[in-house]
Amino acid sequence: MAKRNKLEIMRDILNIVQNNKEIKPTPLLRQSNISSSRFKKYFSELSDKDFIKSVYGERNEKLIVLTNKGERFLEKYKTIINFIEEFEL
Amino acid sequence: MMQELLIGALSIEILYSFVIIICSLMIYFGTKELYELSTHRGLKYFRLAFLFFAIAYFFRSFIKFVLIYFDTSTIINLSPRIFDKIFGQLTLLIFMYFSSMAIFYLLNSVMWKKWDKKPGIIYLLHGTATLIALVSIYSKNPVTYLGLNILLFFFIAIVVVLAYKNKTKTAKHNLYLVYMLLFIFWILNIIDILIPNFLQAFQLLVYLASSTIFLLILYKVIKRTGVD
Repeated sequence: MAKRNKLEIMRDILNIVQNNKEIKPTPLLRQSNISSSRFKKYFSELSDKDFIKSVYGERNEKLIVLTNKGERFLEKYKTIINFIEEFEL
Repeated sequence: MMQELLIGALSIEILYSFVIIICSLMIYFGTKELYELSTHRGLKYFRLAFLFFAIAYFFRSFIKFVLIYFDTSTIINLSPRIFDKIFGQLTLLIFMYFSSMAIFYLLNSVMWKKWDKKPGIIYLLHGTATLIALVSIYSKNPVTYLGLNILLFFFIAIVVVLAYKNKTKTAKHNLYLVYMLLFIFWILNIIDILIPNFLQAFQLLVYLASSTIFLLILYKVIKRTGVD
C-alpha cells in the first residue's frame, strides 16, 4: 500500500467517522491505521479545524462525530485533489 | 491630438489592468474555500500569487488614473512635476515589489515541497523583490533593468525546467508552458513600464497575450473548483 499523504489520512479518518456516525476514539485509532502519536496529531488538527467534535453518549462515554465542516471537506475532497494535481501544487 | 492619444493609451492600460485584477481576484476568492478546508501550502502560495498580481496591477494603472482624473496635484497643492515624481516613483516601487513577489509566490507554489527544507527561502524572495523594486527606482539606466530582468527570467526558467524534468509522466498537463509564458509576459510588462519606448509597437500585443494567459488560468481554476 502506497504511503498516504496528509490529506488522504484526514479523508480516511473523516470517512471512518462518517460511516460510523459516531465512534469511540480507540476504534477510530485502530481503523485509521496510523501510529498512536500520528493519530493524536491528526485528531487534534481535525478538532482544531472543527471537522470533528467530541460528544458524550448515553453511558457518558466519549464519542467522535463529524461536523458540517467535516462533511464539507469530504464533499470537496475530490475537487481539492484535482485542483492540486491540475496546478501541480 | 497629443492629449487624445495619451487618454487612449491610458484607457487601454486601465482596461488591461482591469482584466488582470478581475481575473486575479476571481482566482483568489474562487479558491478560498478549497484552501480553508485543506490548508494546503501550495494552494496558499498559489492564492497569494494572484492576490499580489491584483495589488500590483491596481497600483500600475488605477492609482495613475485616479491621480490624473481627479487632478490630485491641485488638491494637495504640489507642483505637477514634484507630484508626478513622488507618486510615480512610489507606485512604481509598490508595483515592482508586488509583481515580483507574485511571480515568486507562483514559483513557490510549485516548488514549496523542495524549498521548505531550506529555511528562510521566503525571506530571501521578499528581499529579492525589495531589491528589484529599489533598483527600478534608483537606477536610471535601461541596461540595468534589462540585465536584471533577463537574469531573473533565466533563474525562473531554470527552476521551472528542472521542476518539469523531475515530474513523472503522470503530470501530463501543459501548465508549465502556461507559467513560462506568464513569466515571459511579466518580463515584457516590466520592460514596457521601465523602458516605455522599447516595446511601443508591440504594447497592444503584449497586453492581449498577457490577458489571454490570465483568462486561461482563470478558466482552469473555474473548471477545477466547479460551481456548487
